[in-house]
Amino acid sequence: MAPFAGEEAEGTLNYAKQIKYWRRHLRTFLPHHYTGNDSNRMTFAYFILAATDILGDLDSALSAEDRQGYIEWVYQCQLPDGGFRAFPGTDFGDGARSDDNAPWDPANIPGTFFALSILVLLRDDLSRVKRRETLRWLKKMQRPNGSFGEALGENDVVEGGNDSRFGYMGTGIRYILRGNVEGPVEGVPDIDVDSFVKCVQIAETYDGGLSEAPLHEAHAGFAACAIAALAFIDRLPTSSGASDDRPRGITNLPLTLHWLASRQTLTLDDEDALDTLNDETDSAATCHDAHAFVKLGSHPSKQGSLSFENQPTSHFELQWVGVNGRCNKIGDTCYAYWTCAPLALLGHLDIIDRKPIRRWLLDRTQHMVGGFGKLPGDFPDIYHSFLGLMTLSIFGEAGLKDTDVLLNMSNKAKEHLLSLAWRREIVGN
Amino acid sequence: MAPTFYHDDPKWSNIKPIPQNDTARPLAAIAYTDEYSEAMSYLRAVMAKNEYSHRVLGLTDHIISMNPAHYTIWLYRFKVLSELHADLREEIAWLNVTALKHLKNYQIWHHRQTVIDKLGSPEGEADFIATMLQQDTKNYHVWSYRQFLVQRFGLFDDEGELKWTEGMIEEDVRNNSAWNHRYFLVFGGKGEQTADKAIVERELNYAKAAIKKAPQNQSSWNYLRGVVRRNKLPTSTLKDFALEFADIEKPDDVTSSYALDTLADIYTEYQSKREEAKKALDLLATRYDPVRAHYWNYRKRLLE
Repeated sequence: MAPFAGEEAEGTLNYAKQIKYWRRHLRTFLPHHYTGNDSNRMTFAYFILAATDILGDLDSALSAEDRQGYIEWVYQCQLPDGGFRAFPGTDFGDGARSDDNAPWDPANIPGTFFALSILVLLRDDLSRVKRRETLRWLKKMQRPNGSFGEALGENDVVEGGNDSRFGYMGTGIRYILRGNVEGPVEGVPDIDVDSFVKCVQIAETYDGGLSEAPLHEAHAGFAACAIAALAFIDRLPTSSGASDDRPRGITNLPLTLHWLASRQTLTLDDEDALDTLNDETDSAATCHDAHAFVKLGSHPSKQGSLSFENQPTSHFELQWVGVNGRCNKIGDTCYAYWTCAPLALLGHLDIIDRKPIRRWLLDRTQHMVGGFGKLPGDFPDIYHSFLGLMTLSIFGEAGLKDTDVLLNMSNKAKEHLLSLAWRREIVGN
Repeated sequence: MAPTFYHDDPKWSNIKPIPQNDTARPLAAIAYTDEYSEAMSYLRAVMAKNEYSHRVLGLTDHIISMNPAHYTIWLYRFKVLSELHADLREEIAWLNVTALKHLKNYQIWHHRQTVIDKLGSPEGEADFIATMLQQDTKNYHVWSYRQFLVQRFGLFDDEGELKWTEGMIEEDVRNNSAWNHRYFLVFGGKGEQTADKAIVERELNYAKAAIKKAPQNQSSWNYLRGVVRRNKLPTSTLKDFALEFADIEKPDDVTSSYALDTLADIYTEYQSKREEAKKALDLLATRYDPVRAHYWNYRKRLLE
């Protein structure tokens, strides 16, 4: 659709600044305030490279030596029994590793998923990946209830949360290394796919969302990870509704769509998210999402009337729509991704209005130095910057590469994975 | 606090630090402070030889203050505590302070669960949670942890727990975490079991009273609809209630978009009410919830 003449207010992605932002993160040390994310370095490394790729800058940003050097860095994080650590910080160095100290330097689920993703992105052939060992380890990472953890502790106890983040990355490792073929591959048994599906099912919430664990609060991040995991193992609801007797997740699709659509919000600023403590009625300060539309104050208590008596009754504009991660929360860049990615995977991106979300990202959370912040005016960080950019690419932003929502990489990079000979042999095409 | 350097400290002179092996072309390399780099080098050295000592406890504390997301330092710390037969109450006291510094960290909650599980008592935890919720009444980790406590110590039918939750909802009727916790308490211990009629009635009335106070509130409506659905009541149970806030015959007089949404669902269930359903969805798309116009129009298309 051609923009109307005179309508400049369309929102623009500042390519030059975005490229500069990511190049800086690729080329120079991350500032020391990233120390709290030291153990997420593999994840951040992937975000930096993938964003650079989506912006079409990867090939010009990297020399052949860089590419090879980065590949070596990733392999340096591989463990003798398969899997990768999430950062070099636990590596005891040559010869110091033993069975006794191995629990302090374990393979890690996010570390492994993003290490493999980086290798794909850098067009490595993954021939040095200890594939069988990694898949055997992956099986051990699944608990009897179907969930995945973060790393193995002493006596092979599965440590870490049991939420869908690890389920997403666990099924992602499986997808990269063996597609979604069910049953043993090369003599290595498969994960228990059915029990994983059940574990996703029981984390569905009463309002149609998905949560960290059964009966916990619905949260878009966990919903996105659960839905993506189901996509990796081909257990999303079928579009025809036909059943093939295999358990599938998202047992009430219409309700989940309702919940995901409900994440769009007009609460965009900290100022909007006024403290509603002790405010027991509807006012311009408490319910932006409809206050301009519904007739408020029909049921006001005395205290409630007082609370909005002197408030301006500004009308909120619909050109900028944010996305939140839970009911009655403020919009936040990362939730644009955590909400739109599952909608795309469910084939229902059309139930939200991309245009005002895009404008919110571009006009409000895109930062003038490049990248995206969490909230309007916030400084950008790697996490929000990557997920903001991914959302725009899901929306089909002109000038960004087409991406695969599931792997969060350009389709071009994914083609490389699908073309690998050893993998084609396993998946049979 | 002045930076602590271990190489100057005679207590650590018998340890040969292991520097980080970051290769020639590292990715996402961080400009570590000397303090952090050195402490991590000593950590690798003591971990490599499985040292469990008081000085190691101090070292883990030091590193956690800079990088609480380190995923094995917590396991290591717990191992040290166990080997030293340390007083776990002291560990909780230390965690109380540390948690306030790292409100969004995952690992710290996992560690707390491990410690409390071993102690076998939730004593004092309610106070700690209250302090945490003062910082952020919707902190996801805190509510999840509260749910762990309820499960671990069988507090589903604890009256104090339900009362506390009610207090949280009264303080902020839009606190979705508090609503969810109520659902967790009331129905969470029951599995697939049907709930008592009286309890279902109580819950419906509770949600309705909250909606009457603030009709434009997603949390209370979701709760109401959730209770109806879980207990397999027909949606039409809510028809008269919804009509108090929205009536398609009075399109200028709507006080809750969620009531309109509920009516659309009720009408959709009846073949003969398709036109009414479309009208409700139209009102949502064009007047009362235009933020979600695409969604309401999609719902309308399903009725064609």
